[in-house]
Amino acid sequence: METGGTEKIRVLVVDDERDFAAPLVRRLKLRGLETLSASSGAQALDMLAERPMDVVILDVRMPGMDGIQAIKEIKARHPLLEVIMLTGHADLEASLQGMEQGAFDYLLKPADIDDLVYKVQDAFRKKELQQKKIAALKKVRQEQG
Amino acid sequence: MTNLLAKLKGLFRRRRQAPLTEAQEEKLFTDFQARYHDFRLLLAANNRALETMASLEAAAAGDRVFGMSFVRARCTALAASVYNMAKHLDSLAPAPYPALFQRFKDIQAQIDLALQKGRPPVDGQMVVELGQVDKLWADRVGGKMANLGEVVNRLGLPAPPGFVITAAACGRFFEHNQLQAEIDRRIQSATLERIDQLFALSSYLQQLIVGAEVPADLAQEVQAAYRRLEQRTRPGVTVSLRSSALGEDEAETSFAGQYRSQLNVRPEHILESFKEVVASKYTPQAMHYRYERGLRDSDIIMCVGCLAMVQAASGGVVYTQNPVDQMDREVRITSAWGLPKGVVDGDAPADLFVVSRGEPPQVVQRQIAHKGARFDCFPAEGVCRLEATGDQADQPSLSDSQALALAGLALKLEEHYGAPQDVEWALDHQGRLLILQTRYLRRVAPPKEAAAAQTPAGALAGGGAGVSPGVACGPVFWVKKDSDALRFPEGAVLAVDEPWPRWAALLGRAAALVAQKGTVAGHLATVAREYGLPAIFGLGAAAEALVDGQVVTVDADRAAVFPGRDEQILLRSRPKRALMKGSPVHQTLLGVLRFITPLNLLDPDSPEFAAASCQTLHDITRFCHEKSVQEMFAFGKEHHFPQRSSKQLFYEVPMQYWIINLDDGFKEEVSGRYVRLEDIACQPLLALWRGMVAVPWEGPPAMSGKGFASVLFQATANPALATPFKTAMANRNYFMISKSFLNLQSRFGFHFASVEAMAGERPAENYLSFSFVGGAADAERKSARARFIGDIIGELGFVVELRGDTLRARVEGRPAQDILRLLEVVGYLLMHTRQLDMIMADPASVQHYRQKIKSDLAALEAA
Repeated sequence: METGGTEKIRVLVVDDERDFAAPLVRRLKLRGLETLSASSGAQALDMLAERPMDVVILDVRMPGMDGIQAIKEIKARHPLLEVIMLTGHADLEASLQGMEQGAFDYLLKPADIDDLVYKVQDAFRKKELQQKKIAALKKVRQEQG
Repeated sequence: MTNLLAKLKGLFRRRRQAPLTEAQEEKLFTDFQARYHDFRLLLAANNRALETMASLEAAAAGDRVFGMSFVRARCTALAASVYNMAKHLDSLAPAPYPALFQRFKDIQAQIDLALQKGRPPVDGQMVVELGQVDKLWADRVGGKMANLGEVVNRLGLPAPPGFVITAAACGRFFEHNQLQAEIDRRIQSATLERIDQLFALSSYLQQLIVGAEVPADLAQEVQAAYRRLEQRTRPGVTVSLRSSALGEDEAETSFAGQYRSQLNVRPEHILESFKEVVASKYTPQAMHYRYERGLRDSDIIMCVGCLAMVQAASGGVVYTQNPVDQMDREVRITSAWGLPKGVVDGDAPADLFVVSRGEPPQVVQRQIAHKGARFDCFPAEGVCRLEATGDQADQPSLSDSQALALAGLALKLEEHYGAPQDVEWALDHQGRLLILQTRYLRRVAPPKEAAAAQTPAGALAGGGAGVSPGVACGPVFWVKKDSDALRFPEGAVLAVDEPWPRWAALLGRAAALVAQKGTVAGHLATVAREYGLPAIFGLGAAAEALVDGQVVTVDADRAAVFPGRDEQILLRSRPKRALMKGSPVHQTLLGVLRFITPLNLLDPDSPEFAAASCQTLHDITRFCHEKSVQEMFAFGKEHHFPQRSSKQLFYEVPMQYWIINLDDGFKEEVSGRYVRLEDIACQPLLALWRGMVAVPWEGPPAMSGKGFASVLFQATANPALATPFKTAMANRNYFMISKSFLNLQSRFGFHFASVEAMAGERPAENYLSFSFVGGAADAERKSARARFIGDIIGELGFVVELRGDTLRARVEGRPAQDILRLLEVVGYLLMHTRQLDMIMADPASVQHYRQKIKSDLAALEAA
């Protein structure tokens, strides 16, 4: 209940480095997470427009649309979606900027898989509760007419 | 007080009268869950913030080496945790705390500023003639060239003519190629303690610099300066390019052999060589040295001296005093045939001349070495190592009169600078002596035991020279090439054939250093002395007795190596110099800590306990934690929601404990007024309770009349002894729980305790914190009781903080079952240490209770 399982969680990994993203996707799948990947911020936005996801794991350092820009766009279009950033030691400042743009939290690369799954669970639960709250509020409003 | 309670009860009852619709109830239930989720995330962030602050404070003690990367990474991680806490508080509180984010921003800006402080960029001329330079130029041309200019222009002593490419030029070169940002990024990503990463990073950064373009304006100025040098010397004159870094002379740092010099360079290659010298800021030894000495990358800016090349008949180093014996002030000249390169690199056999300071000075000692090789200029470019021919190898490389003249020059330098000097010199083929460099000579305390004339009995190897005194023990590890260096283990005795400056990158990890070749005058010897690392050079074939992995005791005082660990010798070991203290990196850390660790928000009931009063990140964490607990508590109280209102604990009879279920703290929903212990799913609460009831309380300790009078006095003088929550929580014990979380605010008589614990499936997020305040006796006995409890739990692994009668203790990062064990102990202590302040003035009673508590705890542990 508190920390949750991994079933039903849909994760999108956004990283331009295939060598890094592919094993990460594999490992998340092994832990029961429904995982897809995108290789750029733009591709991620396209995919999110097509299908609902719960949590985005995003590398903050990418060519093209950088991570911070990508978070801005994602949160603007999908406010309930939670974003976890992956940052290198050299881009730590970006983690704070990203959180100011609404990212859920950050992890240092290479992230420990357990820590990452914990973060994903926490982010997912936050999203889930947010949705429940909205639904409950709607019901109360309906009741009140 | 009863009046207030009645009012509160009325409040609860009145609210309970309006029944909720199903939808309203569901909404409230979801709100609870969402708020608890934020609360849990806030507590996890609080945990991380406290851990990060503890690691920064530990580093501030200054006895461990760390770099700017560590400071920056920890500060950012901390900021992220604190920001997260503020964010979660904001979402769990019904009303926002806007001042909190403003304070965070302000504090963060101050931290950023403190982190960025460094050497300001240098403006001005990009090239300057050596003839214009003196020591006042050190902040533009670097210490080495400023000193050389001083020698020529103020002292009128001979040195080769030339010019300096300044710090402004280097800045221009970096800016033109935008090098600094990439360098910073790479350094921040690397672990400099790892030799393999250090070597890889060094190689990458040097290539980056060598591959960059020299801007056209700089290239033109260098060419113009070279043409002027040609006019003063001869057409096509070759030059030597020497590093001269800003920041070298500060903090008594030697920087011996850190950087590259390029000798005998043809004019068309000056710019290439300039880049190579600049790139040598990132040799492995230079990066390691900065790390060990706590210097920031930005503290060092490279300048490059460009001097007409001297064709040397002989050359070497003068120490105006003995660096390894402060009692010995005789001048020591190390000299070899050809260029001084072999002597300063430390790998060539050299002659030693010792000159007394008497009137007149005399050569009092002369050790002529077999000098099998010499360094000379190639006719076209560069230098080469030549085998010595004929009988020159065994001839003295200086005459006595030359040695006396050289000593005279060196003593003038010492007199001018008012400190012992380390002077690099050359004698040209016309018999003129030239000064190439002079710098402060670091001297160390003399050996604690006189060097033996012969190898002491029982030694494995001896016969060399102790070039840096001291004793140490460790396994032998031979390093002959870079790939060996990559595997060099922490704490080993570094054994090398030739003491190249490159091996300085290993000295931070080594216990001691032994070399087959080399003399006291080499760069590596200088760095060893600076680090306080015992070192013996010139062991020759005797070093072959040392084999990899064999544990030896190095006695550099007596210049001998002994087998095994010799405790008798190790009695003479000296404490290692704390190189971090006072260094720029250490200062930077202390600077940022002013905005991080001090805690100003102490009393939650004070009006000062407000977001706007937060001065440090610690204040913000404290504020967020306190407010989040209060908000969680208040939410339960303010909503008329039977399942989530506080329940009275029923354990045999109704107890004076009220329980607020934050999420999943009960096995199933409880709607009545009471909750039974067996309905509780909160593991931390059950553990604490087990400890509380494990041993029946004997009641208040018997006390003297004075003890009782003191209790009464306190009770009347301070009737409103503060609890963490002034209003509804006063006079009651409140638990807020979930399945794996517990927060207890309690009052036992005059004692106020709070316990908070997380014992879930993620060890990194688990913790137990415990605070205990108050008592009824006088301040002294209350404090004594706090110390008494602190001693007991300190032994259990808690980090304990005592301030007057307030005890705070914390453990974190443990598996759930450890936290639950410790909660049992805390439960026991809550019950059995109340009113112990009464007996704190009586040593016999204190002893009695200490024994009783220890044996009770042992029984609890065994249960």
